[in-house]
Amino acid sequence: MENMTNPHLQVCGINKSFGNVRALLDVDFSVRRGEVMALVGDNGAGKSTLMKVLAGAYSYDSGDFLIDGKNVTINSPTDAANQGIQIVYQDLALCDNLDVIDNLSLGHEPTKGGIYKLLPKSLRPLDMLKMTQKAHAAIEKLKVKTLRSTSLEVGVLSGGQKQAIAIARAVSSDSSVVLLDEPTAALGVSQTAQVLDIVSTLKKSGHSVVYISHNLKDIFQVADRITVMRLGEQIAIYETAKITPQELVVAMTSGVETDSQDKKDLADAC
Amino acid sequence: MLANSELKSKNIFANITQSKFSTFLPVALALIVIWLYFGLTTDAFFSARNFYYLFLQSTVVAVLAVGITIVLLLGHIDLSIAAVAGVGAAIMAVLVSQFGMSAPLACVIAIFTCILIGVVQGLLVAIIGIPSFVVTLAGLLGFQGVMLKILGNDGAINVRDSFIRGITTETLPTTTSWIILAFVILFMIYNAYINYKERAALSLEVESIFISTLRVSIVTLISITFVWVMNSYRGIPVAIVILLCLTLLFSYVTKNTPYGRALFAVGGNEESARRVGISIQKTTIYAFAIIGGVSALGGIIAASRYASVSYNAFSGNLLLDAIGAAVVGGTSLFGGRGSVWNAILGALVIGSLGNGLDLTGATTADKLMVSALILVSAVAIDAISRKKGKKV
Ligand SMILES: Nc1ncnc2c1ncn2[C@@H]1O[C@H](COP(=O)(O)OP(=O)(O)OP(=O)(O)O)[C@@H](O)[C@H]1O
Ligand SMILES: [Mg+2]
Repeated sequence: MENMTNPHLQVCGINKSFGNVRALLDVDFSVRRGEVMALVGDNGAGKSTLMKVLAGAYSYDSGDFLIDGKNVTINSPTDAANQGIQIVYQDLALCDNLDVIDNLSLGHEPTKGGIYKLLPKSLRPLDMLKMTQKAHAAIEKLKVKTLRSTSLEVGVLSGGQKQAIAIARAVSSDSSVVLLDEPTAALGVSQTAQVLDIVSTLKKSGHSVVYISHNLKDIFQVADRITVMRLGEQIAIYETAKITPQELVVAMTSGVETDSQDKKDLADAC
Repeated sequence: MLANSELKSKNIFANITQSKFSTFLPVALALIVIWLYFGLTTDAFFSARNFYYLFLQSTVVAVLAVGITIVLLLGHIDLSIAAVAGVGAAIMAVLVSQFGMSAPLACVIAIFTCILIGVVQGLLVAIIGIPSFVVTLAGLLGFQGVMLKILGNDGAINVRDSFIRGITTETLPTTTSWIILAFVILFMIYNAYINYKERAALSLEVESIFISTLRVSIVTLISITFVWVMNSYRGIPVAIVILLCLTLLFSYVTKNTPYGRALFAVGGNEESARRVGISIQKTTIYAFAIIGGVSALGGIIAASRYASVSYNAFSGNLLLDAIGAAVVGGTSLFGGRGSVWNAILGALVIGSLGNGLDLTGATTADKLMVSALILVSAVAIDAISRKKGKKV
């Protein structure tokens, strides 16, 4: 078992510019195993950009990327996936016309072996048994109680169920880090509760979860620590238990007095 | 646990309409209504002879409709299928009748040429990013020109080669077709049984026994009736055997392979497909290659049927009939929804309307107007079911 207080995924001194726009300035960020790290900040603070860097969707200009303390190179989403990093985009990226089973395996469907190996990979028969089992395992793991059947088209599911499927897809592959970009932005009260449930489940199963949200209530409910970003900089890291929502709002909107909170103790050393 | 309690629901009707197997119901119903109508209003409609010619007549449209279904699934359209079919048929006819090439070889060359045509159109769509509507509209015009060039001054070449003619004049011996049918049915039952057992053993969701039995029985009943009707006239024409094999192949590809899933995914949500690592470009280019080859096959069957390749045969209703057949069969013009088997039923709807209206002595004007009505209704159903959110 890894030491629970060492960061599992860590980036140090990340810089990222889009032309003249400096979106990330010397950002340090980390998340431990079995931890929910919230990422907050005003619009345009750089949260999504940092998330996409972590997921390999954006390359960064300078900085270090570490997994369990070891330097790794992440240049593409595939690199990130190989390191166990999965992202759930805000728009979910599901295909409404396919059923739950298909969506969960999309892009890397298991196929039958044996004599079928003579065929090109994309023309081999799908291993529907394995696909179904995989889907059931993923759904079971997330305890999506309201889903009646995995052979339902995703298009007929509720927003919360879809969200659950998108998360299930991220965790069904061998993932250790799950990045969630505003997963509850479009959801109602009960569906939000469902997603927060899933986040807790992930946490309990030892995943590192990064959770972006503008909803402070949700954040105070699920997060262990909170990273605050402002104008491309990481300005503070708090332990959720030791801060009030009011203080957090002040930090997000007007920055932090350097001596107002000893954030260094909470940050994982780079 | 995802129990199959839902599938045990007492409501049999809901049970049937909720199963994936149900998508053929609307078009099958339409077909039955059309057949009943013409059967009651004309004497000649319900005869083995008429059905034989109806099926044979519908084969070319059905082949093209099955092919275009692949492109429609992807969310694209191909307006050049009839023109490309004409080019394929013309190449085959010239090679056979003017260069004395053996017919099978000429067919292979024609099909490969049209696959290449498809690849080029696919490249223009996938790599350059021109809408398929525009690329294939240009293709429609251009390849009609190419067809005319190949056919020469007369605008037509006669095809008397016995191999080519045999495609639509030869039939399977009756005993052979019964034996094949028996094997197909046994295989289907065996498959359903194995599938059921494997899933039950792993306590996975299983299709209710009622639905499985119903599905197998319906398909069995239809195929026995089909073979019986065809055999009581002349037997099953080779062209229909080709159509059925082609559809079986495409049914496998679209429903049971990663490529098929990619087709549905790209047609359903291109951006999502891209993010899970599906290559939109490859998927698109392959689809256009397929429709190119299928078009040539349709062209060759048409050449066999008419014993000639003429400009008129490939520039008239063929394109719209084929797209209409696919859409009437429930394949969405918006992508991501459809079935190749239903395309055959759609082709039969279009063919039966033509055939029945002929028998009732309707004019071309009537036929055109009825076809338009059917097509618009089919597309309207497609658009409404899309708006309603998937459920039909
Ligand atoms: N692809 C891009 N090209 C140019 N500028 C970009 C790009 N992506 C982000 N930016 C800029 O980087 C900054 C940070 O954007 P980012 O999307 O990370 O903000 P955010 O914190 O996620 O905000 P929100 O809460 O609104 O989602 C913004 O100024 C934005 O304009
Ligand atoms: Mg954002």
